[in-house]
Amino acid sequence: MIRLQNIEKVYRTDTIETLALNSVSLDIAKGEFLSIMGPSGCGKSTLLNIMGLLDAPSKGEIRIDDQKTGGMNDKQLAQFRNKKLGFIFQSYHLINDLQVLDNVELPLLYRDTTAKQRRELAAEALEKVGLANRLKHFPTQLSGGQRQRVAIARAIVGRPEIILADEPTGNLDSAMGNEIMEILLSLNRNDGTTIVMVTHDENMAHKTHRLVRLFDGAQVQ
Amino acid sequence: MFKHLFKLIWNKKKQNFLLITEMLVSFLVLFAVFTLLMFYYNNYKKPMGFDYQDVWVINYNNSYQTKNVDSLDLYYETLRKTIKSLPQVKEITFVSGNIPFSSRTNQSGLTFKGKHIDHLNNFTVEDYYKNVMNVTLLEGRWFNKQDVVSKNQSIIIDSDLKEATFGNEPAVGKLLGNDDDKNKFKVVGVIQTIKRNGDYLKAGPGMYFRTDTGSFRWLDKILVKVTPGADAAFEGKLYKTMANYMKNANVEIEHLANKRTDANYFALVPMIILAIVSTFLVINVALGLFGVLWYNINKRRSEIGLRRAIGATGGSVSAQLVSESMILATLALIVGTFFAIQFPLLNVFDLPAIVYIEGILLSVLFVYLLVLVCSLYPGKQAAAIYPAVALHEE
Repeated sequence: MIRLQNIEKVYRTDTIETLALNSVSLDIAKGEFLSIMGPSGCGKSTLLNIMGLLDAPSKGEIRIDDQKTGGMNDKQLAQFRNKKLGFIFQSYHLINDLQVLDNVELPLLYRDTTAKQRRELAAEALEKVGLANRLKHFPTQLSGGQRQRVAIARAIVGRPEIILADEPTGNLDSAMGNEIMEILLSLNRNDGTTIVMVTHDENMAHKTHRLVRLFDGAQVQ
Repeated sequence: MFKHLFKLIWNKKKQNFLLITEMLVSFLVLFAVFTLLMFYYNNYKKPMGFDYQDVWVINYNNSYQTKNVDSLDLYYETLRKTIKSLPQVKEITFVSGNIPFSSRTNQSGLTFKGKHIDHLNNFTVEDYYKNVMNVTLLEGRWFNKQDVVSKNQSIIIDSDLKEATFGNEPAVGKLLGNDDDKNKFKVVGVIQTIKRNGDYLKAGPGMYFRTDTGSFRWLDKILVKVTPGADAAFEGKLYKTMANYMKNANVEIEHLANKRTDANYFALVPMIILAIVSTFLVINVALGLFGVLWYNINKRRSEIGLRRAIGATGGSVSAQLVSESMILATLALIVGTFFAIQFPLLNVFDLPAIVYIEGILLSVLFVYLLVLVCSLYPGKQAAAIYPAVALHEE
């Protein structure tokens, strides 16, 4: 599903050159739930950003669903992200001025869908994460766990084949973290969604199919 | 998308209130400026209605007083012949004091078919006036000797008065006067309204009366049409001729072209002051808008990063921010237009409705343009935000 070949990422300033990723190669199969672990600054998020086409590698090749992403322009990348990928972030990134339903609808705004279709799909996604009774709430009226569930609903509303989750339980207590993890596991199990999750939590990581460890930008496991 | 943006703006109404107020205030100031500008422009476009070039004005205080009308006539007719005999003089005419570009007025009111016309200018002129001023006759004729024996006193009206009284119908031969007045005036001609207040100000309706035998008692101005190139030497000669003829009278000679320049200057000064003030205001508003939009973008980096991640292109992020500003401007303009439209509806300042409408349209256009220009660069900056960076800033 996702193939990374010899990925390198170098951040350059006028005086310093930092190697964030050093020749990382990964094959992630369709329907796989992979977790990435490593100490802070080891390149986990950079790797996830590169997989999510939010950042370009300095070297190497990425293929998603057998499509080479290297030569895509801004519009093609945006369309690709919209259709194929769903994102979940540690700090949720919900728009506080929009109601829950409107937040979940967001990815569909960039597709050719009617308002009615958007509402139906968003309500369906929220029902899936157990928030059918919070459609008209604003994010600030929800707990951290509920906010992350809204973010998951937003990630799955467009029915992407891949979900990229950057420390989705990082801001939550263990009970809420487990709830979120259960939702992700169920998405993977029931819908066959491929999930790549960056985490610091060994327990969460061990619930996934495969664990990749990074250290100083290199894959060590 | 529009509904989504509107929802976003509505849910942030408190934050957007100040921005909308700023746009509203700039609209109202611009409305005042553009209305005045259009008023001036519409007046400027109208024909002058007469020829002011090579027309000189002789002001004199009427020193010759006699009860005998024949002696009075003889005195001024002799003066006319004396002046006219000068080689540079083409024609001369005695007129009432309210000549073009002077501050003197002689106004009355008129109620015609139930419609009241205020600030109606009354001019007393001679048969020679037409040739001196080269007025544009639109209908009928100018005064002549047959008007002396007319049953109703003959008058000539200008196009503004004709429009206010007879509309598009012909006016010549019709009677004009107050509804209860038995001695109405008979319209013998219609002339193009002369812009007596200069190029930029409204002239107002006017009617012209023919001088009668006693008019010389109070007429105190002579208009002289001179040949092109008449110079200061001739002006001195004309002055001496007048001074020699009218002993002990104060005589002053002015040029109508200079008087027009002065009249235009006085009309333009308030406009120039208002334009300078509003330019500074617009610059302030533009900087304010630019600053607020820039600040908003920095506050919304996470949202921008998210939108990029879920499928927005750089262009669509930029378009969204510009569209949001345009929607805010539209809300401000709806409120502003509601206030502005009251001016033509309530006929404030007695300006034609079209001037207000033009003022509103130009202000709307300008505010949209201002908002567009002020939001384009912040929008472009927003499009350049790197999603991977923006999403990891919180």
